[in-house]
Amino acid sequence: MKNIRNFCIIAHIDHGKSTIADGLLSFTGAVSERDSKSQVLDDMDLERERGITIKSHAIQMKYTAHDNIEYTINLIDTPGHVDFSYEVSRSLAACEGAILIVDAAQGVEAQTISNLYLALDAGLEIIPVINKIDLPSAMIDVVRGQIIDLIGCDESDIILASAKTRVGIEDIMEAIVTLIPPPKGDPDGPLQALIFDSVFDAYRGAVAYIRVFNGTLREKEQIKFFAHDNEYQSEEVGILHLTKFRTKSLAAGNVGYMIGSIKDVHDTKVGDTITHVKNGAKERWPGYKEIKPMVYSGLYPTESDDYEDLRDALDKFSLNDSALQFVPETSAALGFGFRCGFLGMLHMEIVQERLEREFDQSIVTTLPNVEYIVYTKHGKKIIVDNPALMPDVGEIERIEEPFIKAQIVTPSEFVGSIMKLSMEKRGVYKNTSYLDPTRADLTFEFPLSEIIFDFYDKLKSISRGYASFDYEYMGYKEAELVKLEIMLNSEKVDALSVIVHKSKAYDWGRKVCTKLKDLIPRQMFEIAIQAGIGNKVISRTNIKAMRKNVTAKCYGGDITRKRKLLEKQKEGKKRMKSVGNVEIPQEAFLAVLQLED
Amino acid sequence: MKETAIYVHIPFCDHKCIYCDFYSIITSDNISAYKEALLKEIEHYAELHSTDREIISIFFGGGTPSLMAPEYIAEILNSLKSKFSVLADAEITLETNPGTVDEQKLIDFKKAGINRISIGIQSFHKAELDFMTRIHDPETAIRTVENASKIGFDNISIDLIFNLPGQTKEMWRDNLKKAMALPITHISPYSLILENGTILNKMVLDGKVELQDKDYDADLYETTISFLAEHGFQQYEVSNFCKPGFESVHNNAYWHYKDYLSFGTSSHSFLNGVRWKNASSLKHYINLVEANNHAAISEEILTKEQMLEEYVMLAMRSNGLSTLSLTEKFGHEWLEINSEFINLLTENDLITHSGGRICFTPKGYAICDEILAKFQ
Repeated sequence: MKNIRNFCIIAHIDHGKSTIADGLLSFTGAVSERDSKSQVLDDMDLERERGITIKSHAIQMKYTAHDNIEYTINLIDTPGHVDFSYEVSRSLAACEGAILIVDAAQGVEAQTISNLYLALDAGLEIIPVINKIDLPSAMIDVVRGQIIDLIGCDESDIILASAKTRVGIEDIMEAIVTLIPPPKGDPDGPLQALIFDSVFDAYRGAVAYIRVFNGTLREKEQIKFFAHDNEYQSEEVGILHLTKFRTKSLAAGNVGYMIGSIKDVHDTKVGDTITHVKNGAKERWPGYKEIKPMVYSGLYPTESDDYEDLRDALDKFSLNDSALQFVPETSAALGFGFRCGFLGMLHMEIVQERLEREFDQSIVTTLPNVEYIVYTKHGKKIIVDNPALMPDVGEIERIEEPFIKAQIVTPSEFVGSIMKLSMEKRGVYKNTSYLDPTRADLTFEFPLSEIIFDFYDKLKSISRGYASFDYEYMGYKEAELVKLEIMLNSEKVDALSVIVHKSKAYDWGRKVCTKLKDLIPRQMFEIAIQAGIGNKVISRTNIKAMRKNVTAKCYGGDITRKRKLLEKQKEGKKRMKSVGNVEIPQEAFLAVLQLED
Repeated sequence: MKETAIYVHIPFCDHKCIYCDFYSIITSDNISAYKEALLKEIEHYAELHSTDREIISIFFGGGTPSLMAPEYIAEILNSLKSKFSVLADAEITLETNPGTVDEQKLIDFKKAGINRISIGIQSFHKAELDFMTRIHDPETAIRTVENASKIGFDNISIDLIFNLPGQTKEMWRDNLKKAMALPITHISPYSLILENGTILNKMVLDGKVELQDKDYDADLYETTISFLAEHGFQQYEVSNFCKPGFESVHNNAYWHYKDYLSFGTSSHSFLNGVRWKNASSLKHYINLVEANNHAAISEEILTKEQMLEEYVMLAMRSNGLSTLSLTEKFGHEWLEINSEFINLLTENDLITHSGGRICFTPKGYAICDEILAKFQ
């Protein structure tokens, strides 16, 4: 065990986590240059496209260090986005050390800081690395200063590297071996294997990626979990090279995988602990949490006939994603669909995109919202994750909404505009610290609902892409919120209801009405569009009735053509959703996602 | 005996008008070869389909059939009459363009057996006629109608086009007024249709011409319906109006879902639930007929659902859907599943539903494509 090292790499997006990992893997021969498809650890298309790691995996390498000892080194990859911060924390928990990578041209960013704090919380040894030192725009001294301020290390502790030119790779390997402590634990004690990730394999079922802290896990053993009562047999145990490498056992200190005819990933929850049925551990490894969605949205099939297909797709999807939650819901406007809970906006986008791409689903999404806590006048507490289900105004005593603590790192010249944006988003400014004279680290508190929407895009645009942003959840606070409803010919369009702050309701209502007026085509009858709170209408407009739509000629030769046109129109109308007698094109539901001034 | 209508297409034109997407050609080559092919095609289908059918109407459309010599039309007509049982009082129409017929030619057409004249006047304003690149002027148009009446045609129809670019409401009303002063029994005012592949379409795409908006079109259409009603012309289809008793038998054959047999280029036939289309190109048509005695290039066997769809559409576009006939042909289902929608349309004054007949109101006719697409 003393020759094992377990580590992870933490970095802001694009600071070079994957390229450093590639460098280490090819340096140690774990992956030959030839195999290296560049960025080995990101193996989903979507991840590659977005340049981010969504799901963590692990890989083992052997390294004979300058002390002539051969070490077994496990690199555990971590998801790089705040939506997956719990999964990050579980990956960190599986390690004893972390390499902190900072881009020499970009410097310390918001995610560098938040991931660093997570790593420090997990008690990891930190090895700071400045990457991309070969870039012409590298500002090594400045970044070195930022890192020293941040973690209080010595200048000499910081490794200068370039994944591209392979500079510093060997230094990193030596630092891993000498600075990161070997794992502790008792290979003969009761089994405690932490699941830091799990994926679904169509042929083998759930594959749990594990770090064994105590005991030894062998094949053909009866095992159990702490999160549920199901028992399984360990069928295959091994370590992770580029592919799985069966070793039949995995002892304390090591990292690997376990397969056991487990039908989906809901029984191999990230953060849970595996132990033996007989003489098992009394307690799970600390830090487990039930994953709770933070953002909710309705997902509906474009064509109502495809409801069952969408259900199948979601079922299949959730085999591999225990964080996705969904329950059937019905909307008067959109028909049958699902209310889905996501870890965050990125998670939501990924799910939607993969449903469309990999599962060939065509879906309509409602405006995402957070989960509200409503206290009624009768003393009841109601959890509302769908604006359409908000109780009537008269029944509400108060509403609470989730808040986050946000960290924004920005060149100081943008501080003014970021302050302004934050005010618009109901942010409460907390403090500023300067990473160096030109870079500010701002802290705000925001209602989560304000930042799930378009905050990040706006932040990027006002800072010309320089500001970075990260956040953590704080808890619920009371806020003056109202349910704003949209009505077409006096019928509520439930899928367009939103919960907004009172101060923003008027503006929102006006914009939605205007947008709908543009998007809903003229129809047989006049359409009144209204936005209202309770019984009070705060904005209105109308669409005049269609007055002329008729083919002037229809003689012998025109009839087939005319019928085909009619069939096509009917198909088109089928795809429209309707409330009362108003046909609403799909774009109208999507448009509220893009309300601009 | 099954009532059947016959259409004969004459593709020749003096020139191509900017709004026209019909198959027509402006050379006079092949005029006689075309007639030979028509005669051969008539003989072919007469063998197959003349028994148990009575011909209620014959329509020469185009193109410009009136460009042909009266003997040309007579020969075709005689062939039809000898090979089919044409009713003695069958409606026999010739499409005519002003400027292609003088008084003598009209007399000769009448002698040939034509008893109804449909005249493509389009407008009584010179500027509008010039815009449409029509060859005639307003005076010729008026004279053609008057001549036809004078030599004994008692069933005269004219075509007009409204919603032309730049056409004011006054100009359109004036066209209608001028029409009412003529001895006509039938009028087809068409809202300008922008068809793909027409010269007009290119002009619009190039930004040389700007079309008027739909609401303006609606205003003109409303004016048309009420103006014609005031002058004793009843509407029996979206774009067709007549004095009582002068509905076109031929038009109604299409709209009342009767069989029709068509001859010539790009014509469509519909017999016993099967619809087919002839080759469009003149040379192709002639070659096909020479080789096979017919020129059908595509055929469509309609399903029950498609027939129902067409039946409802055509009936609603014309003088209404008889619920009894509908039920006899297709059962009760359509009325049942659409009953709620029909009530809604009635409440909103878009249709009337009484005496077993569902008819569009003028407001309904104007948006009939929208309404038809909403029936289940």
